[in-house]
Amino acid sequence: MKISEYIKKVQNKEIDIVSYTKEVLEKIKKLNEEYDCLIEISEELALKQAEKISKDPKGKLAGVFVSVKDSICVKDVNSTGGSRILEGYKPPFNATAVQNCVDEGAIIIGKTSQDEFGFGAFSVNVGVEYKIPKNPIDKTRATGGSSGGAACITALADFPHISLGESTGGSIVNPGSFCGVLALCPTYGRVSRYGLIDYGNSLDKVGPIGKTAEDVAIGMETIASYDKKDSTSIDKEIPNYLEKLNSNINGMKIGLIKESLDSGTDKNVKDVFNKQIEFLKSKGAVVEEVSLKKAIDYGIAAYYVIGTSEASTNLAKYCGMRYGKEDELKGTFNEYFTNVRSKYLGDEAKRRIMLGTFTRTSGYRDAYYIKAMKIRTLIIDEYKKAFEKFDVLISPTTPMIAPRFDEIEKMTPLQHYMADVLTVGPNLAGLPHINIPIETETMPVGFMVTGNHFD
Amino acid sequence: MNDYKFTSDVVIGLEIHMEIDTKTKLFCACSTKAKEPNTSTCEICLGFPGSKPVLNKKVIDYAIRMGLATKSNIAKELVFSRKNYFYPDMSKNYQITQYELPICEKGKIELSSGKVVNLTRIHIEEDPASLVHPSGMSSSSYVLVDYNRSGRPLLEMVTEPELNSSEEARDFMKQLVNILQYLKIFDINEGIIKADVNISVKESGYKRVEIKNVSGFKEIERAVEYEIERQKEAVEKGEDIVLETRLWDSEKGITKHMRLKESESDYGYILDPDLVITDITSDWVKEVEENLPELPIERAKRYVKELKINGEDAKVLTLDYELSEFFDAVAKKVNPITAAKWVRRELPRVLNYNNLEFHDIKFTSDHFSDILELLEAKKITDNVAKKILERLCEKGDFDVKDYVKSEGLEAVADSGALEGIIKQVIDANPKAIEEYKGGKEQSLNFLVGQVMRQTRGAASAPEVIELIKKLVN
Repeated sequence: MKISEYIKKVQNKEIDIVSYTKEVLEKIKKLNEEYDCLIEISEELALKQAEKISKDPKGKLAGVFVSVKDSICVKDVNSTGGSRILEGYKPPFNATAVQNCVDEGAIIIGKTSQDEFGFGAFSVNVGVEYKIPKNPIDKTRATGGSSGGAACITALADFPHISLGESTGGSIVNPGSFCGVLALCPTYGRVSRYGLIDYGNSLDKVGPIGKTAEDVAIGMETIASYDKKDSTSIDKEIPNYLEKLNSNINGMKIGLIKESLDSGTDKNVKDVFNKQIEFLKSKGAVVEEVSLKKAIDYGIAAYYVIGTSEASTNLAKYCGMRYGKEDELKGTFNEYFTNVRSKYLGDEAKRRIMLGTFTRTSGYRDAYYIKAMKIRTLIIDEYKKAFEKFDVLISPTTPMIAPRFDEIEKMTPLQHYMADVLTVGPNLAGLPHINIPIETETMPVGFMVTGNHFD
Repeated sequence: MNDYKFTSDVVIGLEIHMEIDTKTKLFCACSTKAKEPNTSTCEICLGFPGSKPVLNKKVIDYAIRMGLATKSNIAKELVFSRKNYFYPDMSKNYQITQYELPICEKGKIELSSGKVVNLTRIHIEEDPASLVHPSGMSSSSYVLVDYNRSGRPLLEMVTEPELNSSEEARDFMKQLVNILQYLKIFDINEGIIKADVNISVKESGYKRVEIKNVSGFKEIERAVEYEIERQKEAVEKGEDIVLETRLWDSEKGITKHMRLKESESDYGYILDPDLVITDITSDWVKEVEENLPELPIERAKRYVKELKINGEDAKVLTLDYELSEFFDAVAKKVNPITAAKWVRRELPRVLNYNNLEFHDIKFTSDHFSDILELLEAKKITDNVAKKILERLCEKGDFDVKDYVKSEGLEAVADSGALEGIIKQVIDANPKAIEEYKGGKEQSLNFLVGQVMRQTRGAASAPEVIELIKKLVN
């Protein structure tokens, strides 16, 4: 059943939403035992909302089940950014994106697992003693990250469902690619960041993940809003995403990012991707190569410097005083918070705090932080120039298919970071990009389309 | 600052934090006025994970006012940064402030001597929470945190090291508060203004010592005076002046070592990515300028034009905001020229005599205008008016009109009654009368004095002299 048909049925009271919700909750409990895609199942909240909808079945998302990345605040539900240090943090407010969903009749079912604070591309950098989500197609493989749990549950759900993910450097499309689902990262400023537990504030975006284009369109239409509570939110008319779903691509000018098919990308990914290009051409699209050398060559470096610089300041509040787990009061304030942070933050979080603190320390600040900001501007200019000629830009989403856990274990941190090579560009430039899954006989391959701002 | 070639005996630079009087905090809608601990807080000023700051534009208006009044260059863009350090009074462990591009640069403030002090910069920042040590800083076994203050707007001003004495430091603070009050951006009763004072003396080769958190004009003067002496004496004794931060102990009147200043702290500043860079357009600045409250120069012009008081009086009256406000109130009730004369001349004389500052007085402009109203109606004499004023300075608040009545200070304007008193005095002092008739002028003064004593100053001296002359002859 299409999601729009389901919503109509709920609105017409043709579905007993309360008992259906109970059924869905049982289902996800079982799924979660197998795949660890949820950190928390918000059963009580879901049933309360179902009761409400059964009486008053209104809203664009009436009765639709929505899972929320752990880093996005849901009122009175544990929202820890996937980190042990925030265990027990129940925000007294909903993130604006969540509030928009609730207002439109969505049923929040739980918080999805992720790399701690978004620090990863495989969802293996989970918080201390948190569980790693498994790929829905092959449990020996990673879901991708950092919104791994979100993509995983989306692939598994056989009920009307949308997931809210979050991307800083590719964390929406990357797991979309590995799990074979549609995942949209909107233009920076289109969806409010209010209530998002920050990683890199100038990069963070909330976006929808779904099984079908319709799921994603309807999700996007709900969460997009101008929000005075987020100063970086942009007041711009929100288009009707659903209406645009069946647009014709005949004559569309598509720029194929040349560097994305270089030696860094696996052959099997290239082969599948190239076949799709032929398909597009057959539908009348004009595909030409375009070089985005700066984005591909310097994107990773600029992204990791800016992202970690911002992250290291964002994470400072988790010191065991107001925020972050409390511990035995011993020694000076410095000794106390050092102990708390050592104990409850994972290795990758510590690595990024150290990296980000270093890159903004006086003496190094100009060489790293300031330079990265300048490169970011150059990358934006490069994209803007490409969009003078092309309607959209395409590339594989990730240079590989979902890796196996034993392969990941052998990777160096730098190899981890390279998984983001194709996604950091649009993220640095704040450009909207979507992962379109291409099914194969084995693991899915991701096809990424990047649009101009607000396209 | 290092390019300065110091030549004077003492070099002082100030870093001043001023709490700006807005209704709400810098980045949230919480009131700035709450008194009960932790009653004015929200997810933003408490730094909840997921919350985001939203700028209070009023603070920017006020900062622009300050920039205009100090003839500063006003930045074209508003940029906020994060200053990162771990401290229990900061919920986020970073402070949102301005770093590379402060809102104001290169301003000036004129001292009462006419000397101009250059300002390096003025920037906007959020106040941290306050730490409360229930039984004093050294003996408390725990500390309480009051987040009411967290996120209140501050302006920080940094001066060039151009002040050369404790008096100048004090006068600078006075002029600064005067500007803040004229601009109506500072609450003199509740607002906090604190200075970090950098002091060095010639004898040590200008080795800089910082004194933290001194508040109040007198305190600054005292602290600076003490510190200058301490440094000079240390050098005389052959001791080294070390680069250090000291604390001012107001009770003991001394500064104490707090920490060494080996190197500047590194705050790892980054742009605050939650706040967008905002253009400060010339239209915005113009709008603030058009709505700027009346400043001393305009006020003085108004006094001359509308109240017809002389230019010199107008200038002196407008130099001090509070004195000027006081004058305004008095001039609404009595002849402005009389008001100007009394507020400018008699009031400072009496204050001086009693060793008081204007803001120490305990009486209001109403008391003052009561006196002048009685004087204008010739119900009391100049002498009585001065005496009542002196009494007000000493005793403070009492009802002037009742006091005049109960003490019988009303001018003996009725010449019949006055004649009676004079006749009594003449009868009682035959010897003085003889002497006066013999040409001894002093005797007349003696007689006038006697009459004044009996009337308790309520008679007018020229009239008394005239009457004595008439009656004796």
